[in-house]
Amino acid sequence: MLRPLYSLAYIIARGGRGMAQAPAVQLLAVGTIAVCMLLLGAVVLAWSNAQGVVRAWGLDVPITAYLVDDADPELVEATVRRLRTLPEVADAERVSPEQALRRLSEGLGEDGELLDGLEPSVLPGSIEIHLAPGTDPDFGRALAERLDQQPIVDEVAVAGAWAGRAHDLLQTLGDLALGAGLLVSLACMAIVWSTIRLGVYARRAEIQILRLVGGTRRFVHGPFVFEGMVQGSLGAALAMGILWLGFDAVHPFLERGLSMVFAAGALSFFTPTQVGLGIAFGASLGLLGARAAVAHYAEA
Amino acid sequence: MAIIELTNVTMNYGRGPRRRSALRGVSIGVPEGAFSVLLGPSGAGKSTLLKLVLAMERPEEGTIRVAGRDIHRLRKGSIPYLRRNVGVVFQDFKLLLDATPMENVALALQVLGMPRREVRERAASALCRVELDPRIRRPARCLSGGEQQRVAIARAVAGDPAILLADEPTGNLDPRLTQEIVDVLEGIRRRGTTVLLATHDPLVLDLAPLTQQIHLEHGRVVTLTDPTELSEDDIPEILPASWAGPAEAVA
Repeated sequence: MLRPLYSLAYIIARGGRGMAQAPAVQLLAVGTIAVCMLLLGAVVLAWSNAQGVVRAWGLDVPITAYLVDDADPELVEATVRRLRTLPEVADAERVSPEQALRRLSEGLGEDGELLDGLEPSVLPGSIEIHLAPGTDPDFGRALAERLDQQPIVDEVAVAGAWAGRAHDLLQTLGDLALGAGLLVSLACMAIVWSTIRLGVYARRAEIQILRLVGGTRRFVHGPFVFEGMVQGSLGAALAMGILWLGFDAVHPFLERGLSMVFAAGALSFFTPTQVGLGIAFGASLGLLGARAAVAHYAEA
Repeated sequence: MAIIELTNVTMNYGRGPRRRSALRGVSIGVPEGAFSVLLGPSGAGKSTLLKLVLAMERPEEGTIRVAGRDIHRLRKGSIPYLRRNVGVVFQDFKLLLDATPMENVALALQVLGMPRREVRERAASALCRVELDPRIRRPARCLSGGEQQRVAIARAVAGDPAILLADEPTGNLDPRLTQEIVDVLEGIRRRGTTVLLATHDPLVLDLAPLTQQIHLEHGRVVTLTDPTELSEDDIPEILPASWAGPAEAVA
């Protein structure tokens, strides 16, 4: 029953020994993966912070209809339902005063505690309207005018051209992140592929013997796959570390220098969960690269 | 009962004008517990026959049964389990030259998923069986040819396989070491492992306590001693371990 565990222990020990046998190659691989992952991390971090800024400025919502204090809830719901039926409207959502206060507090970041003790009723309820991509700006203006005439609506705010620009900016950064992600994935897998290939050549006698004495495919390939996963995760972890150091050094200057932009929402680094996911992503790339290399070269 | 059974096995290498016949309609049966010698000149098809038994090659025609199973109907993933029951020794030893004898033998046991302590104990026991000191700390490259071959045999039998295939195990050794290796193999047979030794050297026939002789030439069996000629003394005291391959191994 414990045999798979003993085999796993062997795979980990052999993989570790394999890495120790060629430390320079391993360092080079981990360093190169780290550089690639650093590029990806920087783009994703810029994208994530841009999203934060756009949200903090309300640019992600092109039209906001602020409601009168005594707006009839049923009438508000009916208006939201009606808006959702329009093909030009991607989504319409009612935001209560409590939700509005919570968002404002989050948007202020560390200064959010300034709002402590404030009654939610100081903020009006609203209906946030997201337009479908490619909708004519004139439609947005016309819709805003119609909403302004509704008795439940006190005032309508239209983000206008800024919303479009913010959307374009996010779209560009998102595309960049995707492109960088693809490139980095391929680069990382190629790096792992190369180092594992070298390992397979260096240990080909051992592989041949393992096969002759009844080593299963998993047993023979396992140490190499483990090695690839370690390379990928170490590279990703190193990239995260460097990115964090860089972010920590730069963000006070950015926040001070671009206070107009960041006043409503502080810059933020990845959460621990996101860092974990990033390292897991690196490990997955290492796994894929190693599996491909070992399946190609160890089976040849 | 034949533990290895080949029926009308034909095997060719290459294609077109380069096509070369390695085995032609070979039918043999190696009885359980036998010490069989496969004799023939270079190119007779001895190594091909051993590779087929080890499922390293697939015959073009015919069937090969090992312990009653048609091994070429095994799924690819089941072949390692077959090899755990068929130890193999080569002329060039196929050792990890930078590893000690103990480490070389341990490799075959780690494959079986054994705990480290059991690996050490069984590897030491296998080395003792081939009369090598398990405490030798020198890497294999520093051992003599005879010692290297003993390490290879120890590795092949460490997992107590039912069959031991030896492909020219004495090819690189002088007559004295050849006798030693043949004696080691006979000791292994007496513990219950069927031994099939391929050699081009007729001297081995004089040294081996022969129970079966298979003469191959140009891929054909020229002479085959009748396995029923085995005397009672040739039957090992301990029967081979039961077949340990997975039940689902046959596709």
